[in-house]
Amino acid sequence: MQKILLMYACLFLGLAGVAGQGGASETSFLDEIKDIQENFDSRAVENVRPVTRETVLAKDQFNGRPFRVLTRKNEINRFKCSNCHTDKAVAVNQGVELTHGSISLNHGREGQALACIDCHHPEERDYLWDKKGEKIDFDHSYQLCGHCHFRQKRDWLGGAHGKRVANWAGERVIYNCASCHDPHSPRFEKRYPATYSPPLDR
Amino acid sequence: MKSDNSSGKSGCSCSIGTARSDRRSFLKGLSIAAAAGSAALATGCVPSVEAAAPEKMKLRWQEFFKDNYRLMTQEEKEATIARLERLAKLQDDLDIQMSSDPPIDRVLYGYAFNISRCEGFMECVSACVRENNLDRKTNTQYIRIFEMEPGKLDPSTGDGRYYHKVPVENKFYMGTQCFHCENAPCTKACPTKATWMEPDGIVVVDYDWCIGCRYCQAACPYYGRRFNWGKPEIPKDEVTTRQHYLGNRIRPKGKMEKCTFCIQRTRAGRLPACVEACPTGSRVFGNLLDPESEIRFVLKHKKVFRMKEELGTEPKFWYFID
Repeated sequence: MQKILLMYACLFLGLAGVAGQGGASETSFLDEIKDIQENFDSRAVENVRPVTRETVLAKDQFNGRPFRVLTRKNEINRFKCSNCHTDKAVAVNQGVELTHGSISLNHGREGQALACIDCHHPEERDYLWDKKGEKIDFDHSYQLCGHCHFRQKRDWLGGAHGKRVANWAGERVIYNCASCHDPHSPRFEKRYPATYSPPLDR
Repeated sequence: MKSDNSSGKSGCSCSIGTARSDRRSFLKGLSIAAAAGSAALATGCVPSVEAAAPEKMKLRWQEFFKDNYRLMTQEEKEATIARLERLAKLQDDLDIQMSSDPPIDRVLYGYAFNISRCEGFMECVSACVRENNLDRKTNTQYIRIFEMEPGKLDPSTGDGRYYHKVPVENKFYMGTQCFHCENAPCTKACPTKATWMEPDGIVVVDYDWCIGCRYCQAACPYYGRRFNWGKPEIPKDEVTTRQHYLGNRIRPKGKMEKCTFCIQRTRAGRLPACVEACPTGSRVFGNLLDPESEIRFVLKHKKVFRMKEELGTEPKFWYFID
């Protein structure tokens, strides 16, 4: 009886071995990768140069992980807005200088173009606001953009839209919406490429 | 370097007399002895400041007899790096910092390219040329961007030589470079084992073991490799001085070269130059072994494909659509 069992065991192991070998040629390294559940702490990578640009901790998280975004307020030339936007009257001869003549608004579909106060808070001038009336900080404008561009925001949180700043390792710092897109005219303008390619030499 | 010098002088006769059976070690001893001897001849046995030319010659001799990178010990790697740094100073008056940073544990690099975001600005190409010290004379480029007709997914049908305002309506843009195949055909074609895949997935070339036969170029189904017909010519103020032995160091003449995912940057936790330069965020780079990385997010949530997947080369470079 024991002998028969042993024979069966041997046969079974042999078959399993053959099946394993046969299957190996069909598998991809990706299967092994997908099986990895253990997290990799990219902050533990040594000698990563920290990002030198100004950043702020984002109010959103991705899969429970905090991340940082580039600040926006330090990029706005005349911030704070409330420096000018007061109740005080403005002399007419300063009008050209003080109004935002340089901004050409090209945001929103045709027929549904956005106006200033669709994003800018009409009372609290140093803030944006959303359609629910919530105040939104300029550094956290992704909270506002995501109301319409929710697909892009989902991708941005995960990393398929936008990109990280400087490092793939270390603390996660990503570009803010307005770091790349001009919020008043978010589409990139047409321009000549940075360089050209010579013909292939084959 | 210094210890080599002293042993070379004393070993002038003995290295030949007590020659071990190994041909390589015999030649090595002979070369050092010859270099030291000629140095002594030129300077009259007195070390002087004007010994720069013999020093260069000695360094080049020693360089000639070094091992394949994969067979070097850490000391040998440091020694060759010291020699190459010194040679760059002597030959081209360049102050470079070369590294031999090893792969990072539990890291396998992967790359994704968003064909619905790329607008063909080619900032990546010029950043790559600068970062990797590519030859400006022949305009060598590791990356190519193709302007594609809608519905086509094979870059050979696209226009790789466009120069007009981009993006053009109803076209899309597709970039190619070395895909760092997990099952790379190029490494199998090399007769001198001068190219291989590192543990972190980067396919590299040991420029000093490459004999320039270009078998690997013929074996690559993606046109990922470039042959240099001369030592790269770069304006001196544009040379990237932070270099890696397997990466962007200035290649000797007649070698095969290619994208290394900017090994000098990525092994220090930085993004490759093309990713950092991309103005549209079409390029995603990260660690495939990290389930929380950006590249894994793309693979999990986006429609991805790889070029010529049926060849079984397993590129670690995916194209994706928003």
